[in-house]
Amino acid sequence: MDTLADTTLLSLDALSLARGRADVLDNVTFTLGRGQTVGLIGESGAGKSTIALAIIGLLRAPQVALRGSIRFDGVELTTLPESEYRRLRGNRIGLIFQDATAALNPCFTVGAHLAEPLSRHLGLQARERRQRSIELLESVGIGEAALRLDAFPHELSGGMQQRVMIAMALACDPQLLIADEPTSALDVTIQAQIMELILERVRARAASAIFVLHDLALAAQVCDRVVVLYAGQVVEEAPAAELFADPRHPYTRALRACSIELGERDALVPIPGAVPGLEDLPGGCRFAPRCERASARCAQTPPLVTDGTRRIACWHA
Amino acid sequence: MSAPRSMQVPAVPATRSGALAEGWSAVWAQRSARWGMGIVLAYVLAALFAPWLATHDPVAQAVEAAMQAPSTAHWLGTDSFGQDIYSRLLYGARLALAIGFGSVLLGMVAGVALGLIAGLAGGRIEWAIMRVVDGLLAFPELILAMAFLAVLGPGVDNLVYALALSFVGPFARTVRSDVLQVRAQPYVEAARLMGVPMREIVLRHVLLNVAPGIVVQAGIRVSIAILLESGLSFLGVGVVPPTPDWGLMIAEGRAFITMAPWISGIPGLALAILLVALNLLADGLRDALDPRSGETR
Amino acid sequence: MKENRLPVFSVLDVEKRFLLRKGRNGPVELRALDGVRLDIEEGSSVALVGESGSGKSTLVRLLLGLDRPSDGRVLYDGGDLQQVLSRDRARFAREVAFVYQDARGSMNPRFTIGDIVGEPIRVHRLHPVQHIPQRVSELLERVGLPPSVAVRYPHQLSGGQVRRVAVARALAQQPRVIMADEAVAGLDVSVQASLLNLLRELVAELRVTLVFVTHDLGVASYLCDRIAVMYLGRILETGPVDAILQGPAHPYTRGLLDSFPRFDRPLRAPLRGEIPSPVDLPAGCRFAGRCPCVQPRCTSSDPVAQPLPGGRLVACFHPLSGQSGPT
Repeated sequence: MDTLADTTLLSLDALSLARGRADVLDNVTFTLGRGQTVGLIGESGAGKSTIALAIIGLLRAPQVALRGSIRFDGVELTTLPESEYRRLRGNRIGLIFQDATAALNPCFTVGAHLAEPLSRHLGLQARERRQRSIELLESVGIGEAALRLDAFPHELSGGMQQRVMIAMALACDPQLLIADEPTSALDVTIQAQIMELILERVRARAASAIFVLHDLALAAQVCDRVVVLYAGQVVEEAPAAELFADPRHPYTRALRACSIELGERDALVPIPGAVPGLEDLPGGCRFAPRCERASARCAQTPPLVTDGTRRIACWHA
Repeated sequence: MSAPRSMQVPAVPATRSGALAEGWSAVWAQRSARWGMGIVLAYVLAALFAPWLATHDPVAQAVEAAMQAPSTAHWLGTDSFGQDIYSRLLYGARLALAIGFGSVLLGMVAGVALGLIAGLAGGRIEWAIMRVVDGLLAFPELILAMAFLAVLGPGVDNLVYALALSFVGPFARTVRSDVLQVRAQPYVEAARLMGVPMREIVLRHVLLNVAPGIVVQAGIRVSIAILLESGLSFLGVGVVPPTPDWGLMIAEGRAFITMAPWISGIPGLALAILLVALNLLADGLRDALDPRSGETR
Repeated sequence: MKENRLPVFSVLDVEKRFLLRKGRNGPVELRALDGVRLDIEEGSSVALVGESGSGKSTLVRLLLGLDRPSDGRVLYDGGDLQQVLSRDRARFAREVAFVYQDARGSMNPRFTIGDIVGEPIRVHRLHPVQHIPQRVSELLERVGLPPSVAVRYPHQLSGGQVRRVAVARALAQQPRVIMADEAVAGLDVSVQASLLNLLRELVAELRVTLVFVTHDLGVASYLCDRIAVMYLGRILETGPVDAILQGPAHPYTRGLLDSFPRFDRPLRAPLRGEIPSPVDLPAGCRFAGRCPCVQPRCTSSDPVAQPLPGGRLVACFHPLSGQSGPT
């Protein structure tokens, strides 16, 4: 157990989350090693962002019913008091959201945004804060950093705003970076730049990262491991290269078959039906109603079985 | 992350002819709106059947029966001239509702027309119309109506015109801004691209989406109109005595408020209840007319 | 001009400037389009691809006659679009259908789906009024929706369903050209795939001309036979999809292709910097500032589009040759 504690930074164990009558997450289990990047993929409603919010403690009782455990660096987060949580967020756990325009306060300058975690968590004085802010902006590829400190968010392009968010997330050298669709609002050339930047910063600090992504190919490029979610459950987890080279769960295969690749001219195969509503989920395997391999056995919930480097929840895998 | 709706579409029959019935049932489904509607309906019925419901002639004076407390002979008592308050209340409801709805209807027609023209035409026409509207809006409703009545002289019809005039500005202003907002919607551009004729775009796409705002505003304005009418009569520039009017009744009883509180109190209460009911109904209409609120009902 | 058929649309050196403010040294203008030339042949499917700020949506608005070019001309069927519109707007409106990015916003929220899909049929009198409900049912089925949605309202349908309704409405007017602006953006992959399949089937089946605006090269290559790559208000490269994907001639096209996430390649960010402001365009080639193979000449003079074999055009002094790939 000691060795495990050393290599594991974050572990989710049988995490379930319900919001009213909706079972948003069910029995989600995965671990994230130090220096590792993991990707959460799946369609909308799969619970990808919910996991991210649960880890950073923005979805907690009594707002939602939470069961199971989230351990971060040996500390149980589900029972952590809010005051302790505040010391983690933005300090040891950094956050990057999808919509930088919404996440940055239009009334504050870039400098003010960066100063906030620096003074709150690191207790830096004004002069040091300014120095550190300039370094941070330079580290995320923003030129003329000293001038940009006085700019307001709306004076920057979408890509620049996302860079500022990354600088904020990295301000306190977090051990874990959570990025929820960090580039889905950006153009591909900027997406590539931003993703490259995030990976480079994470690797330089030997930090870990969780990426919430909808683009499978991007996940294949930036993640060490990928967790595939469907209707709030983990259906398959594997090292990224293995997962996409040989998807084993029918859902992962189906997702792969309907993702466009550049120059693809063969007909895409959409998944029949639609993602079930979280308030009336099918019993047994939740993907069974849309699965081409479904059989009578699928009326029972398949367990998440470890098979070598991957885990799969399917009777037919 | 929002839960996506499933592919199956619930088979709720909603035919075109049923749209009106659907609207009413949407109002009816809200508890407070139901109360509002019930009370307003009761006032309308009372007003309509006033001649049959009244126990006395509303303008018959009887000095010997002045300032009587409610009794079996005079259910709600009598005023300082010995007129029966119950009967006057019923006839007063006629006047209040007629003036309230009449003035709003008139003001609405003029205001909506001006607002539509301003919002759709733009340019100088819009500028000219909106400056006139600004002029109207510069005066508080009560002052505008008083000034108008001072010129035309008191009387029920002049009161309706005066109140209608004071409503033209607010209607024109809100309709114009709604039109500007609706006109910028992609569906209006889409209709234009599809080759839908201008007249139809205005009627089917713009007016249809502006209408709910107008209806809700009209509902609220009716209560304001009734309040203003009572206020003007209270001040002595509206309806002339001995016409049964709530404002006049309240004014008349003012001097005797300690001796005979029912003289002002009862018409005041009747007025207050009607105003609250009208506002509840207007709120209900607003919710019912928003197609997006349909999910929750 | 191959064959002697006129293109459906011809864009001739179109400029579109928007006045931002009247500055001290003359007006400050934003050049959304700057010298765009494009022919759209009957029956072809053309993807306008580019990053935000490339002018692709502005170009579509000009093609639809929603905006007028500041300079240059747009021809429809060989006639000036403005004249076509003033002569017979109804015909143009019927022949050219547009599918909005914001499908829900493009539908009157107080109309039922039946009214929405039936509107072009009614307006253009394509069927007798009593047959409209029948026709609407057929159209809804054609786009894979149950006919019972006809009595629902737009807000009661999911994002994917609303996009299908938008396609059904476009089909209702029996168009010759369908234009679509990011019609499959922001959907889950599965929903996007089925919508793309539908569009592809319809284009093949009805032989309509398709003009598809997208930022997604994958979508463009799946749906269209030709691509026009736009950058900062100009088309940098056009040609058949396969040829461009195999061997992009413009360094920007190659940068775009290499930035696209792929399963079989590691992440690369071949292009540095961002698209410059269209308010003060750089002298010379507009891509020179970000171009990995920039030469002195590129910063002084503006390259015009020159033909390459295989029906391609490229606006570059030093077009790339050979296969694309990490260099």
